[in-house]
Amino acid sequence: MKNFSFSAGFLFVKRKSAMIEYPEIDRYASLDSPMHRFDPRAKIIAFLFLIFSVVLIPDLKIAFIGLFFAIFLLLLSRIPISFVLSYMKWVAMFVLSFFVILAFTFPGEELAKFYFLSITAEGVYTGSLITIRAFSAIILIFPMIGTMRFDTTIKALDRLKVPNSLVQMLMFTYRYIFVFVDEFQRIWTAMESRGFKLRTTLYALRTIGKAMGMLFVRSYERAERVYQAMRSRGYTGNPKTLVEFEIHMKDYLLAVFIIGFAISLHVISFVGVF
Amino acid sequence: MVHISDGVLSLPVLAAGWAITGVLIAVTLWWSKRKGSIIEEIPRLSVMTSAFFVASLLHIAIGPTSVHLILSGLVGVILGILAYPAIFIGLILQAFLFGHGGVTTIGINTVVMGIPALIAYGIFKAGSRLDFLRKGVSEAIFGAIAGGVAVALAVLFLVICLLTTGKEFSGVASLVAVAHIPIIIIEAVIVGSVVAFLARVKPELIGSLGGDRK
Repeated sequence: MKNFSFSAGFLFVKRKSAMIEYPEIDRYASLDSPMHRFDPRAKIIAFLFLIFSVVLIPDLKIAFIGLFFAIFLLLLSRIPISFVLSYMKWVAMFVLSFFVILAFTFPGEELAKFYFLSITAEGVYTGSLITIRAFSAIILIFPMIGTMRFDTTIKALDRLKVPNSLVQMLMFTYRYIFVFVDEFQRIWTAMESRGFKLRTTLYALRTIGKAMGMLFVRSYERAERVYQAMRSRGYTGNPKTLVEFEIHMKDYLLAVFIIGFAISLHVISFVGVF
Repeated sequence: MVHISDGVLSLPVLAAGWAITGVLIAVTLWWSKRKGSIIEEIPRLSVMTSAFFVASLLHIAIGPTSVHLILSGLVGVILGILAYPAIFIGLILQAFLFGHGGVTTIGINTVVMGIPALIAYGIFKAGSRLDFLRKGVSEAIFGAIAGGVAVALAVLFLVICLLTTGKEFSGVASLVAVAHIPIIIIEAVIVGSVVAFLARVKPELIGSLGGDRK
């Protein structure tokens, strides 16, 4: 009992700080760089290709080349490194714990031994490979998504013929996240001001359940109003956007360069240049 | 969320994830379209999806995976079969806006969380037909079961993904499973109380989307 309520307590300490932060991946969308000027549609295609390519690299040395290329594209986008590092916390924790567990549990040649635990060379190798691939993938998100406003991203997806219902769900869900971050913060502040403290009890968890239930009731009522308002303004389910994209020769060239690099990563690991 | 980052899983697992997700989204959207216009439901569905997104915003990384309220069982109970596209959208936003989870793993992560959400919906629907209990009590019990089962199944799926990628991951997989036991309990309690609350305060909200009303 003590153990899991501790994690629930921790969770809400975390939540309070997390609640204040809005998703701001596009905070630096107004900068100017080759990545910012890259046509959104070509950028999405090229970068998705590259991300899939780097996460499937089978060789550690080539994974490092992929990581350097990702960092190069990030530097080209002029997004501050400190901003990127703050976003990498989750992935870092995830893959580093993976790294540690793999180092000890992966069967193979022994490198070092502590009592009954032993570190294996294969475990360290696989752990490093996973870490480098995961870091490359998350770094690539910034030159891709961080260099344009998120609504531009969604419009580009629409132009890329992503099914209309999914594009619209993305758009509306994204908008209302900001509203409900505030809404939940208000509910939580109200609970705390009435003296609610998260303790090690079933009571506390059930109270959180009720608070969440209240969030859903409010969001449901809001959803009805939003729907009525949209219908009355002539919403038929087809988004109309005024943004027009223009694709130039340089966009094609940049896309071909990135995709070519993604392919060559696999060609060199297949041929075995290193 | 029981979701996995980029760079861990093998190509067959990633590809299978995207394939299953593609098919299930097409099927669930088609199924709700059959009962009425999906376009009309989109604003409502999206607003609810962002409420779930916010409710599950927190992430604690314990051990090899991130651990926090998952709420996939609750998404299933409230949204019915549209829980699957809702979870897909939630995971896309989480990967791109917060860097939680991965980009290439969105497909498989949706399978890992979405199919248990659909099963949780089935459990809750079957359970709520039994009305010999006092109002609110049966919802609390079956909500808790749905919430707990959804997480337990998601963990099971995650373990299967890891083992399919490589037998060497068995150490990681067993630690993932053990780390989630307290989460299953917390999740069951919270989902149970949310559902009981909604059953008393706004019963029409449960199963309000996904065509049940029509």
